[in-house]
Amino acid sequence: MSQSQQPEQRRQVLSVSVSDVRYFAALLRGVGFVTRATVTITNDGFTVTVEEARTLLATAFVFKDMFEEYTYHPEPLQLQSQPAQGSQQTINSVAFEIPLNTLIECLNIFGTSSVSTASKTKKWKQNAEDGGMEYDNDRTGPLDRYFPSSGKGTAMRMSYDGTGHPLTLHIAEDAAGPTATCQITTYDPEPQLELPFDDKAINPPPRNRAPRAPSKPILRIHAAGPFGSCEMDYPNDREVLENFECEEPVTLSYKLSHISRAIRALQNSTKTSLRIDNEGFLCLQLLMPSPGPRGGNSEAFTEFRCLPLDEIHV
Amino acid sequence: MDHTASVTSDSKPDAVSHKRRRCGQLTSAEIIQAIEKLQKRCIIKFTESHIHIICNHDASEGGVQVWSQVKVQSLFSDYRIQSNSNNEITILISPEALLLALRSAWNPASLDSTPETVMKLAKKNDQAVLSFDISGSMSSGRMVRVGHDVRIEVMKPSDVQKLTEPMCPEPDVHILLPPLQKLRTIVERLRPLSDIIAVRCNNNGKLQISVQTEGVSVDTQWSGCMNPKMAQEGASQNPDADGDVERPDPDHLFSVLISIKSFIKFLNSHVLSSTTIACICQGHCVILYVYIGDVADAGGVLTFYIPAHIDS
Repeated sequence: MSQSQQPEQRRQVLSVSVSDVRYFAALLRGVGFVTRATVTITNDGFTVTVEEARTLLATAFVFKDMFEEYTYHPEPLQLQSQPAQGSQQTINSVAFEIPLNTLIECLNIFGTSSVSTASKTKKWKQNAEDGGMEYDNDRTGPLDRYFPSSGKGTAMRMSYDGTGHPLTLHIAEDAAGPTATCQITTYDPEPQLELPFDDKAINPPPRNRAPRAPSKPILRIHAAGPFGSCEMDYPNDREVLENFECEEPVTLSYKLSHISRAIRALQNSTKTSLRIDNEGFLCLQLLMPSPGPRGGNSEAFTEFRCLPLDEIHV
Repeated sequence: MDHTASVTSDSKPDAVSHKRRRCGQLTSAEIIQAIEKLQKRCIIKFTESHIHIICNHDASEGGVQVWSQVKVQSLFSDYRIQSNSNNEITILISPEALLLALRSAWNPASLDSTPETVMKLAKKNDQAVLSFDISGSMSSGRMVRVGHDVRIEVMKPSDVQKLTEPMCPEPDVHILLPPLQKLRTIVERLRPLSDIIAVRCNNNGKLQISVQTEGVSVDTQWSGCMNPKMAQEGASQNPDADGDVERPDPDHLFSVLISIKSFIKFLNSHVLSSTTIACICQGHCVILYVYIGDVADAGGVLTFYIPAHIDS
């Protein structure tokens, strides 16, 4: 387990460290609704992708400036076995599958890896340092509120030695306290669902229509079930929607259980962008708080892509 | 005032009456709370000097057992007992029901001063009960009396004879555990990962709690824990005081695999603990001494026996 004893020619494929694991854990929780996730590591960061029912694809983008240290050495090709069919190992990235909820549980081992953004009444733009402490599934009881995690945070070091090796985490709350070492088994990645989102063709081709009166709602979210229905209307107001572009009125339906998978990530996000392309694919991008280790903000976001239930209506 | 009640059980009249002190109430409720979730029934043995609380129901299934003893003075201000079997009375009682009665005596929100509680062994409607008579004054000045009767079964002396603490070999290592609250947080996180947990420690202050499955292995480690010399009389089992013969390598880790559920049941006693000492008998069991109050006062100790998990 001690990588320092390994001979030099076998360097760690990935080695990262961060002094406060909360934001990383929050990013993972946003996509943590399926057991297995595919992790793809590149020079700039890594992505954690989950898929449900061949319809929903959720990806958390973790960029390397979220970490204090980020080192990536791609596995030399000659040491790898022949890439299996559907393998995603190229010289620029390495991928593996991992039980995601196990990873999230391990990050939370000392009960200190939760972070909450402000309540929904606050403005969208906010200083990420304002995030207070919130305890997910309060299994630990009210006294934990007073446990030391204010400011300092739980430190983590994560490393991966390559194909066939586990993902290793070293977590420590503080210098004096207990440490935890977790080794999570990794698996060969399955071929991923591809939901290509056509960024360029977002709207159906324009037709001649009279311009809409500004007071009517321009965006409506409607849900219906056997016991009733609910509609949420968003007016054409800059305060509510920062940006809105739609050439044509259009109606699309998606399965609620898939869209609601995004709730966790939405709760932690600071901004949301919703786009639908002309095939009806919905792409939801959520900007997540992630203070850079040296102050300032780094970017991290989570993306959800969902197939519609039916054809696009105009 | 003489509070004596008599109970006519099958064979002989026994009697016990106690008056509780405020801090005693706090402790007795906490003790019962610590073991409430363990089993549906527990045994309470009243003697002239001590109260013993015993949960050994799971013994046959290899589950955790609790044997505890508390000095009578720690719990009661006035205590009288009388019986034909050596002035000892042993009863079977549901800890859940007992806890309800104790909580009422402990923290009645509407009373402005500490209520006085009298606990008696009594017989009502042909049923043996532990009866609580709680009286206090409300903020308005009025007196309030609350009564609880908790059903019990008085144990026959022949059954009481059969109660013995589990036989354990001499422990290999003793260590002072870090705060149980923190341990509990961590072990709760490990619970979904595996049914078995490994507890290891050495004579150099190192404690490890680990799980290992196909999918994941997690090792949590504390260093700098104390290794006490065991020579106290508060424990139910007395390890040899002269254990400092030539010790093997102090870094050698002694370990035992136990059921994670049993360990969590033990960790529920975190409400009580000021000091907890763990003793490992390699591969056999772990014995945990949870001291009530200050160790030096020897007010009482809860002893948990968790047997090693045996693969079937």
